[in-house]
Amino acid sequence: MRNGGLSSGTLRLIALMGVFGLVVIFFATQIDNYLRASLFNRTSTSVAIILPIAVGQAFVVLTRNIDLSVGSIVGCTAYGIGGLLAAFPDLPPPVAVAAAVAMGALFGTVNGLLVSRFGLPSIIVTLGTLAIFRSLLVQGSGGASITTASLPAWVPAFAQANAFTLGGLQIRWMVLAALAVTLLAHLVLTRLRVGRQFHAAGSNPDAAAFAGIDLRATVLRAFVISGALAGLAGFFFLARFGNITVVAGLGFELKSVGAVVVGGVNIFGGSGSVLGVLMGAALIDLIDASLVRWPLVSEFWREAVLGFLILAAVALDAALARRLMRRRARRQPEHGTAPAAAPAAMPEDARP
Amino acid sequence: MTRLSASASAVALALAAALAGAPASAQEAVDMVLLPKFLGIAVFDQAHRGAQEAHAEIGNPGALEFLGPTPENSVAGQIEILTTAASNGVDVVMLSNNAGDQIAPAAQAAQEAGTRVVTWDSPIPSGQGESLFVAQVDFAETGRVMADMAHSIMGGEGQFAILSASPDAANQNAWIASMQEVLASDEKYAGLELVEIVYGNDQSEESYNRALALVDSHPDLELIMAPTTVGIQAAAKAMQDEGLCDRVKVSGLGLPAEMVSYTLNGCAPEFALWSFVDLGYLTYYVSYLLATGAIQGVEGETFEAGRLGSYTIEKDPTRENGLRVLMGPFTVYTAENVEAAAQ
Repeated sequence: MRNGGLSSGTLRLIALMGVFGLVVIFFATQIDNYLRASLFNRTSTSVAIILPIAVGQAFVVLTRNIDLSVGSIVGCTAYGIGGLLAAFPDLPPPVAVAAAVAMGALFGTVNGLLVSRFGLPSIIVTLGTLAIFRSLLVQGSGGASITTASLPAWVPAFAQANAFTLGGLQIRWMVLAALAVTLLAHLVLTRLRVGRQFHAAGSNPDAAAFAGIDLRATVLRAFVISGALAGLAGFFFLARFGNITVVAGLGFELKSVGAVVVGGVNIFGGSGSVLGVLMGAALIDLIDASLVRWPLVSEFWREAVLGFLILAAVALDAALARRLMRRRARRQPEHGTAPAAAPAAMPEDARP
Repeated sequence: MTRLSASASAVALALAAALAGAPASAQEAVDMVLLPKFLGIAVFDQAHRGAQEAHAEIGNPGALEFLGPTPENSVAGQIEILTTAASNGVDVVMLSNNAGDQIAPAAQAAQEAGTRVVTWDSPIPSGQGESLFVAQVDFAETGRVMADMAHSIMGGEGQFAILSASPDAANQNAWIASMQEVLASDEKYAGLELVEIVYGNDQSEESYNRALALVDSHPDLELIMAPTTVGIQAAAKAMQDEGLCDRVKVSGLGLPAEMVSYTLNGCAPEFALWSFVDLGYLTYYVSYLLATGAIQGVEGETFEAGRLGSYTIEKDPTRENGLRVLMGPFTVYTAENVEAAAQ
């Protein structure tokens, strides 16, 4: 896609930044005391939790699947690691984080095996595991909640620790960690062979299979990554909120899918970048945090606004893709040898 | 989760006998379901403990089940569990209603099928389909207790905001309304200004973010009042995390075990609650007596509820229709008594 002038991915990124700027300007005129350092601090910390989940979701969506169970995985790992740390307060921090990631990966493996081995539709599988994982948590917890007081002091301190401050802007370690994960995912997806396979498996599974890509393994990998990153987010969640009840992480599936779709990952698989997902997550969180403070929108409408945003992004995506395809078709000869241009065409054809 | 043990038909026969005027014996088998708003919140488990205590004390040979929906499915789940319980011939469903009036048709159908519906913690707003409501505290008193705590924390003057649970939680809404009434009607509270009401839906992260948004929106805010155990600790943690406790205090309804550190460090100097164990215990007693026909559930009726003593069924003054049994009282927790209660 890189040789196609300004790629649709880059365009999308620029457009998202523009929208982001407009949203900030709009709310600055609407809400008193809006443009403060606290806005950045709150939003960035909040994005740090949803971002790993959304990046994991992007891997899954790239392979033409979806993971609706991420919210339940976040809740289970936050609770599980909270309980673990309460029982073994001397556990070294890296071990605790690794345990959270491993626990999430385990849940992801369940999803991945069900989808890849049995060929079940991922939307149904993960809808089922969304409920099953949550029920496991409800039953397993026996209703007791994890409280901040039961955790070793470094856990809540981690969520507050600043790597550095710029004026009033606090750059927290948690935010840097989430950005590092995103960057790593970006490099894997764009530079590594195994990363390109996610795109290939989603854009044209048959062609990918012919090319010798193990589709089952690729889909399984995507779900394991999604679970592992949801586990990491579960640890962040625990550190930030401390008090974990069985409702922890509820609704993250909607937010993560929203961030992925708004960020320009094609919901039919095959194309998209996690840098877009980063912008999508930031935009969704900014809007959510701002709507709370905007007196004109009642509590009941905030969820709906997120819903509208997702619909708008998908509609825009479809329209743009169609136009891009038409232009590509006209210029077909010069792109005849670019293999990367082909994948994007498939989902377009598959669309009703 | 235990399963329905006693055969439903046997219970139905026993119930029929009771309804036919057979004298109510203390050991009559009554199958009961305790239905919380959803599973996994500490206070509901405490209520379950109280119900189990009463169950053992009475020696009810029937089954006591603790069945609740999962959190994301609270409204539909409650209606489904109530309906299933009724068709399984359960004698009483004890409901902490989270479904507003949406559950009324299912409750009415259950009553017609011979299943009593006793609400506790949170009633059916219209009173339809409900035998009676076991109120933890007088809802009007809740308003006054909250107003008093706000008054004492803010020194009688200043801006405060409310962080509630879900926008359609009947109990929280009634408490907020009663607090507003108290504020408006008593000159003592003239200096207290309620600037905003927000909802954290009893989720830690939402409540936490709402609390921070309140601080950002209102630079002069001095207090966040959260009439929900999840909201109050999320708000207290948010203020503590951001180093705001000197400026913005937190109060409301909270569990001592969850609030002790915030009360001792001054983030939440005062909060209140009642005993959820007692609430479960009293609810069990009144439900059992209703199901056996020992009481009819009419206004003015008096009964004994074990260790809690004597109660009277009265018209619920906080709703247009409906009967209630009032438990009470409030305990206000401060740095003096919170540690002992947290044990």
